[in-house]
Amino acid sequence: MSDIKRKPLRMLGLGVAFAALMTASPLHAADDKLVVVTSFPSDLTDVFKTAFMKENPSIAVEVVNKSTSSGVKYLIETAQNNQSDIFWASAPDAFEVLKGEGLLGSYSKEVEGIPADLNGYPINDPDGQYLGFALSGYGFMWNTRYMEAYNLPAPKEWDDLEDAVYHGHVGISSPSRSGTTHLTVETILQGEGWDEGWETLKAISGNAKTITERSFGVPDGVNSGSFGVGIVIDFFGFSSKASGFPVEFHYPSVTALVPANIGVVANAPNEGPAQKFIDFLLSEKGQALLFDPKIMRLPVNKSAYADAPEGLPNPFDGSIQTKVQFDSDMSEQRYNVVNALFDVIITYRLDDLRNATAAVHAAETALAGSGSGNAEAAKLIEEARALINALPVNAEEALDPDFNAIFTVRRKDADTKVEGRQAEVEQQWDAMVVENYRKATELAEQAKSLL
Amino acid sequence: MNMPVKSVTTHESPQDVKPGAVEPVEIDIRNVSLSFGATEVLKGIDLKIEPGEFFAFLGPSGSGKSTLLRAIAGFGPTPKGQILLGGQDVVGMAPWKRNVGMVFQSYALWPHMSVARNVAFGLDERRVPKAETERRVKAALEMVGMSQYAERYPSQLSGGQQQRVALARTIVVEPRVLLLDEPLSNLDANLRVQMRQDLLKLQRRLGITTIFVTHDQEEANTICDRIAVMADGVVQQVGRPDDVYDTPANAFVASFLGTANVLEGSVRKEAGGSVFVLHSGIALPCAENASPGAGKLVLRPQSISFGGSSENGLKGTVMSAEFLGGMIRYAIDVAGQTLLVDEVHTRGHGRRKAGEQVSLKVRHQEGVLIGG
Amino acid sequence: MTTAALRRPALNMSVGPYLAAGLVVLFLGAFLVVPVLKVIQVAFQDPATGGFTLVNFQDFFASTLFRQSFYNSVYVAGMSVVIASAIALPLAYFTTRFNFSGSVIIQTLAFVPLIMPPFIGAVAMQLLFGANGSVNLILRDYFGITIPFMKGLNGVIFVQSLHYFPFILINLSASLRNIDRSMEEAAQMLGSSGVRMFRRIVFPLAMPGYIAGASLVFVKVFDDLGTPLLLNVNTMLAPQAYLRISSVGISDPMGYVISCILIVFSIFAMWVSFLGMRGKDYSTTQKGGGGLSRRDLTRREAVLCYIVVLMILALVLAPHLGLLLLSFGTVWSFGVLPDGFTVEHYETALTSAWGFIQNTLLYAGLAGLIDIIIGTAIAYLVLRTNIIGRKWLDYMAVSALAVPGVVLGIGYLRVFYGVEMPVTGQPLATWWGIIVIALAVRRLPYALRSCTAALQQISPALEEAAENLGASKLRTVRRVVVPLMVSGLVAGFVTSFATAAVELSATIMLVASEKDAPLAYGLYLFMQSAAGRGPGAALGIMAVIIVGLATYLSHRLVENARHNQATTANQGGGH
Repeated sequence: MSDIKRKPLRMLGLGVAFAALMTASPLHAADDKLVVVTSFPSDLTDVFKTAFMKENPSIAVEVVNKSTSSGVKYLIETAQNNQSDIFWASAPDAFEVLKGEGLLGSYSKEVEGIPADLNGYPINDPDGQYLGFALSGYGFMWNTRYMEAYNLPAPKEWDDLEDAVYHGHVGISSPSRSGTTHLTVETILQGEGWDEGWETLKAISGNAKTITERSFGVPDGVNSGSFGVGIVIDFFGFSSKASGFPVEFHYPSVTALVPANIGVVANAPNEGPAQKFIDFLLSEKGQALLFDPKIMRLPVNKSAYADAPEGLPNPFDGSIQTKVQFDSDMSEQRYNVVNALFDVIITYRLDDLRNATAAVHAAETALAGSGSGNAEAAKLIEEARALINALPVNAEEALDPDFNAIFTVRRKDADTKVEGRQAEVEQQWDAMVVENYRKATELAEQAKSLL
Repeated sequence: MNMPVKSVTTHESPQDVKPGAVEPVEIDIRNVSLSFGATEVLKGIDLKIEPGEFFAFLGPSGSGKSTLLRAIAGFGPTPKGQILLGGQDVVGMAPWKRNVGMVFQSYALWPHMSVARNVAFGLDERRVPKAETERRVKAALEMVGMSQYAERYPSQLSGGQQQRVALARTIVVEPRVLLLDEPLSNLDANLRVQMRQDLLKLQRRLGITTIFVTHDQEEANTICDRIAVMADGVVQQVGRPDDVYDTPANAFVASFLGTANVLEGSVRKEAGGSVFVLHSGIALPCAENASPGAGKLVLRPQSISFGGSSENGLKGTVMSAEFLGGMIRYAIDVAGQTLLVDEVHTRGHGRRKAGEQVSLKVRHQEGVLIGG
Repeated sequence: MTTAALRRPALNMSVGPYLAAGLVVLFLGAFLVVPVLKVIQVAFQDPATGGFTLVNFQDFFASTLFRQSFYNSVYVAGMSVVIASAIALPLAYFTTRFNFSGSVIIQTLAFVPLIMPPFIGAVAMQLLFGANGSVNLILRDYFGITIPFMKGLNGVIFVQSLHYFPFILINLSASLRNIDRSMEEAAQMLGSSGVRMFRRIVFPLAMPGYIAGASLVFVKVFDDLGTPLLLNVNTMLAPQAYLRISSVGISDPMGYVISCILIVFSIFAMWVSFLGMRGKDYSTTQKGGGGLSRRDLTRREAVLCYIVVLMILALVLAPHLGLLLLSFGTVWSFGVLPDGFTVEHYETALTSAWGFIQNTLLYAGLAGLIDIIIGTAIAYLVLRTNIIGRKWLDYMAVSALAVPGVVLGIGYLRVFYGVEMPVTGQPLATWWGIIVIALAVRRLPYALRSCTAALQQISPALEEAAENLGASKLRTVRRVVVPLMVSGLVAGFVTSFATAAVELSATIMLVASEKDAPLAYGLYLFMQSAAGRGPGAALGIMAVIIVGLATYLSHRLVENARHNQATTANQGGGH
């Protein structure tokens, strides 16, 4: 009883020591180990990990889950003393970045049933540094209860989402945050052209309720009913539906099927197991695992589709229209400009863009309702649209390596001239779009007042 | 009682104190100065305290008395000069190596330890074997009359009891000297009188050199062998309490120790010896051998009495009266000079009224001249 | 009496504190300053040439977006303090003023909001308060209106206030309890009472506690990344920094510039609050403590109090309620409640949770212990020694508050990835211990505050008495200081432990294998897929329960200790 005051601390110490003991319990008895850095959720990785370790009991698979962007960052930061064997993620761009940094090792493999390309898009990296294992298309998913409550029609094409009825009901992520969204944005830009593509993107974003910070934020928002329609990669839609949420997914006609990829990290400490894992993933057995209701991805192996669950389309039989042949070189070339531009003119100024869009919608409704039409008002609305759509960067500039170099510290080669700094350039863009959005709002309101 | 068993190792413990009587040591303070930042708190203190003496530092707050005491114990900034305990200079030595016992004004009993463990603390630190610790704790508590409270916690004790425990905790380690920092100031008046007698008895029993810091002259006077009156970081006067009272070295000491009329004027040789002439022209008797010149005369209120011959008598008017119990203290206006005069109070006698004309007599030889 | 052992004491006296200070500096230097500098040096590099430049800062201030983000961050932090105060004040008042049985509920539950695991909290809040959340669905059905709780900056303020108000409540209640009753009685004697007395006497006396809590809330909200990100609010400083640092391929130095500015401004805010508090810390001049005099409530008043308290608690615990529903719900989509209920999610979560839970208890526990050890050391050095630069130790530790977790995480990777572990040859940055250290550094400011407050309440005379009786500084600390600080230390441990247990931002960069991952990371994994939402919520509930239990047990330990020795009034020092 003389020592009461000291007891709590002692107890705390004991508690921690106890926890330490519990954690120090025996480890796996496996001889080999395989470290997989991935952006995929455990719903996907667990299935493959379990199946792979069943076939290869001697290999202990360790999954390190990071978002695509922090995964890339992690591999770059840790390259000096690499401990990771495999990088496994959706976006080919992320692999292109790693390839550019020299962080991918070479491993390629021919598997029967996996074609070299799909509608002209190569499934594997032509340089043999990474391989596609599943196909992803882009489209929209919507919450049926939400659509019913707000009386919204199901969208069929990108343009549908530009409609005023969807104002405040759309969710989208930012390409700089989400590799899959980047692919979506690129698909639209390549499918419709630079200027028209951005017009579509701005018109859709002008209807956005929010620009989410993670790709998963979009399906999550649709699932919970925060917003009605989300622009997502297909498996988000399929797996959400498979999990019981009242959602539907649809591919618009301007879409591309792009492979999700896997690659061996340069200087992988466990190269052998890494290759075994990739072999397993591409085998018919591995490919069939993609049909798990929590995964629902499209295999790259044609023969796997024999067992496809109902509702999952087969891209090899033409059930998905792909008008766009995705040019990943172009995508990689203007990667940073597209990301920065999207954030500056859309993500960070969403309120301004939304207000301008709403004002234009209101003016257009008024114009349509006025019956007779009003030339002056129509002209003002057109001007307002033009202001919203004005871009600070044109298509050539976006592909200019000198211009792109502003956004990277490491220059591709010594001749690249860097003029200006990212912050400086962004400030110019920002000043321009803020002013344009403001003026557009003003003009639209003016037009409305004429009616 | 449940005391942890300490292994006897080669720990550099303080003194290896043996039980039994302590050889009293001398405290020699030589030219000690100390500053808190720019403020000089002690200015060249020189003091010698004899072995076994019960010594007091007496002074108002801010005089530096506590600072000096703490410097002896090793607390506060390191002072300049030397502090010799039994011939050993302790300046710069860590407090825990000095073997100096201090009782704090607030008692500083550790609220998380029982009385017994508080008292045993110093013995634990000295690696005293368990059995002996137990015996000595018991003895120390008995000495202060607190044996039955050994298992209580400080919060369950009264102020006086805490005081005794603090004392027991200090003396149980048999320190070289005992320092008491205003130990009675937190007690009520009756307990204070009782406690100071107990303190004196204890000190005499232990024979330990003791310094007692107080601002209360009565406490110092009643129990201390000698006192040092301090003000402004300087020792004003050292001596036996009655000597200091009777022959104060300066006006400060005179007024701080009891009540005094400090009168300004000058000494003049006259036929019948020396007289002290106030500015108002009134002449008062003073010591025969006083040298002429300006100075101050200290007159205790009890050195003046009412009534008296016309010769050296003073005429005055009663201004006010204070009832002090055994005495009545009057303020008398004498030609513009206020004098305090004590008169023994006897039962049934009324007070003199304000405005009453009185004549006063100054007892010869009782005035003390101090430097101008 | 021997004197041989007593030579050269002066040296002994001064080396100890310097040694301790040296160790603290070494720890903070290696695990806070160097990694952070390593990251933010980019802010001072010319993006093209790599040379030193301040042009990036010029760009920052030239940018409208960044200026607006800065303004938004200050606004959100300030408003969150206001709202959090509005929540905390009545709760603190009821618990300290009245003999109110609800006090126990308040003290137990008010801590819970701090334990909100990442991601799911925001999901739950969206489901309840979002534009199409339960509350708004009901409002729309019955009244045809909606309230934009979660929209833009308002949403951030709303969520942050609910999350961080316990900081104000805890600190304010503590100072209210320490008020000397005679202060209040003196005011009453002079004719002051009721609200007026509260405003003129009680609140000023409790001010230091309030400011301490409020400044913590301000800085936390100012630097917080998770909430704005999850609510998709980008135009604030912390998210801007994060977005720019963690984007693929983009190497914009602005992210690092913003980190610099976050750190500097947070330190500035702490400094301002410190200036505001200087000379106002009355705790040492108040002798008795004992808190305000409490009075019994009439039946009607008690009912009223209960209503107010329960309403506030319902609001602040709403995220947890949402989480609970989510964890038991089958599908919850665009509805007031989930479609059905199930325990399946708990089964799923438990299959993977055990390892995460073990790791979390271990990591957060160790981090908490490290924190109170270093916290005590710093508090002691600052309050009890006069070594040069001791205040800077304090500033250094507190500045950890202002370092975004992701900056610390990247810094650790940069500094420690090249360092190999002695035996295994594994990079230091991938060792689980580095997660512990990161958590410890991130949570040190909390623990330090508790330690400092606890030490401040110990009269130096108690230590001097021990030294006087032969105990060296170290032994004095061990035998007197630490035991007397114990309730403060436990409080510090609990805060560190509980908040570290749900921390993600630094750990996500440092987790090198799933085996070593803590609970928050497990949650993150679940919350990446549609099917994982339920199990994620279940795991979150488990986290809250475990952390809550640990907190409760620690409190019980302290309370028991207190009861066993009766309340002790600290005897104030007389010097």
